[in-house]
Amino acid sequence: MNIWTIMTGELRRLLRSRTWMLNMILLPIVLIFLLGASLSGVVGGGSPETVNPVKVAIVNTAGQAQVQSAMLDAFLKSDEVQRFIIPVEVQNRGEAESGLRTGKYGYAVIVPQEFDRDIQSGVHAELEFILGKNHSDNTAAGAVFDNFLSEINYKQAAALTLGPEALAAVQPVLTEQPAVQLGNLNNGGKDYTASQFYAASMLLMFLLYSGLTVTGSLFSERENHTLFRINSMPVKGSQLFIGKMLGVGLLTGVQCAAIIFFTDVLFGVYWGNRPWLLMVFCLLMIIASMMLSILACMLCQTSEQATSAVNFLTVAMTFMSGGMLPLPDSWVNSVGAFTVNHWELQAMIKMMLHSGFEQLLPNLLVMSAICLVLISGVVFTYRKVGYQ
Amino acid sequence: MALAVLRDVVKRYDQKLTVDHVNVKIEEGEIFGLLGPNGAGKSTAISMICGLLKYDSGEIVIDGLSVKEHSLEVKKRIGLVPQDLALYGNLTAAENVRFFGKLYGLRGNLLKERTEEALAFTGLSDRSKEKPATFSGGMKRRLNIACAIMHRPKLIIMDEPTVGIDPQSRNHILESVKALNKLGSTIIYTSHYMEEVAAICDRVAIMDKGHIIACGTEKELRDRVAHEEKIVIRAANITPGLLSELGRHPRINRVETVQDAVELYLPSSQSELQDILFIFAKHEGVIVSLHIDEPDLETLFLSLTGRTLRD
Repeated sequence: MNIWTIMTGELRRLLRSRTWMLNMILLPIVLIFLLGASLSGVVGGGSPETVNPVKVAIVNTAGQAQVQSAMLDAFLKSDEVQRFIIPVEVQNRGEAESGLRTGKYGYAVIVPQEFDRDIQSGVHAELEFILGKNHSDNTAAGAVFDNFLSEINYKQAAALTLGPEALAAVQPVLTEQPAVQLGNLNNGGKDYTASQFYAASMLLMFLLYSGLTVTGSLFSERENHTLFRINSMPVKGSQLFIGKMLGVGLLTGVQCAAIIFFTDVLFGVYWGNRPWLLMVFCLLMIIASMMLSILACMLCQTSEQATSAVNFLTVAMTFMSGGMLPLPDSWVNSVGAFTVNHWELQAMIKMMLHSGFEQLLPNLLVMSAICLVLISGVVFTYRKVGYQ
Repeated sequence: MALAVLRDVVKRYDQKLTVDHVNVKIEEGEIFGLLGPNGAGKSTAISMICGLLKYDSGEIVIDGLSVKEHSLEVKKRIGLVPQDLALYGNLTAAENVRFFGKLYGLRGNLLKERTEEALAFTGLSDRSKEKPATFSGGMKRRLNIACAIMHRPKLIIMDEPTVGIDPQSRNHILESVKALNKLGSTIIYTSHYMEEVAAICDRVAIMDKGHIIACGTEKELRDRVAHEEKIVIRAANITPGLLSELGRHPRINRVETVQDAVELYLPSSQSELQDILFIFAKHEGVIVSLHIDEPDLETLFLSLTGRTLRD
């Protein structure tokens, strides 16, 4: 019963603090908005890309009198290819190159003489591609003609192995599948936005900062001399300690839920498809944050020292984990793996990208292990130092 | 019947004896004063009685229960009014009292009644919904007391409850102590204000450097120093010759000067007063006032330690 009394007393005192409300709920939401809006180009995929059909100069080196490659002609007329390619026949290489320089064409293909016959007879044949100025156009057109060449290689292999008559039996397969597919092909086609990234990283940072509530609570009891009075009452030291931690923990949980709720409602931040697992990860982070702060309180002499230690840990771990800005591969990034933020942030982003549970399991195990180690450290230190 | 017994209690801090083989019996229903200068060991003794500090040796028994073995049970019987204000600034007066009442196990209507009772007793009923930050120093001290008495403890321990407050609040607190005692509580009252202890306590123990150097009723203690009186003479033209001759007088034990006054300690003032006036006249000392002090606890402390209580 004493634990309940102390916990509710702690909640009442904290909820009356306007500073706490401002720092722990309003500030993170404002930060997430500002960082998400201003750094949207740095993190995440931004708006989905579209590819306009590319004007491709087709140079028929056989001259105007000759019939262009029937194979290529048939390929270019398929519906799937016409979504990405607008073929334009030009007289010679010079005209194609000139058109590429001026931007009239985005890509050029030079078709050699006797291209179809060489293919059918199984001798070496190749198309020549000239890239234009635009990277996206080059990628799209290149992908389309790679597709064509793959089909040709397939047919030629069939002709060489089974004879020319086998060509008729070979079904065209390549145009059944799109030559160009837009979007992120990793992460199941999903990507995260800057708002999502910073919502997760700021949530984690402020959950770590909630450790300051722990230090404030533990030290204020001593500085107000209320600890002296409570110790003279029929209350066990462990009851007082657990009650206070439950109060702070519960309020940190409320803070966490408020940040998730408000970022979802106000900025449309999508937190993924696993709300229960998200809760578990948040709980683990709250436990880790509180245990770190309790250790700081027990090992520091003054509240100033403990506050500085918690501040340093919070900023250092957020930075090392890439929570302030995604870090390039470097030793800093490697060191990040030793921070709680790293495992939490990775897990949250994976949840936002709908990763499977097996991909989240390592993060869950590592965070659970970290929490167990920290809890053991706190129990050991409490027995040695106590709360007096 | 003794409610609190301290038997040969010893407490050391880094090998320094803070409480040195203290033996005290506090009877049920009495107001027991613990008098001594700062650093005498009063607060340490109180902390050990309340179970806040472990003693190195000896035994403390409250209401028949050993503090060491039945700490929680003993704490239920005690109400501690700490020397420092121990209140939550962001809770109202009533919420403060209620919070501590719950920790003493009070619930429901009983908690409500006792909260109102404690606030009424300390004269804070009309300010119960205000936060202590808006209170005067005296009101905060009274709230500090209310938080310690709402569970009607058998033993109330007040550790210098009148430090730093105005005379009106001090009187209110002293009256409250007497009233609590009349309601049945035994009270241990510590102070370094001799007048307070003399005014309200049935028995007094004087502590210095961890020892109990004297213990008894005020009369008993005064009788111990009744063999010596103090004459305070305020005078102009106090010369070294005058002081020297007073010091040589066979019946004057000690001569001290305090600003423009001379303090003389002697077995009996009446028989020597004429001699003293003669010496002053001889050295042309102009007497402004003359006062014969009755022996008090301050005198006792001085005679036992050679120092004043406020040293």
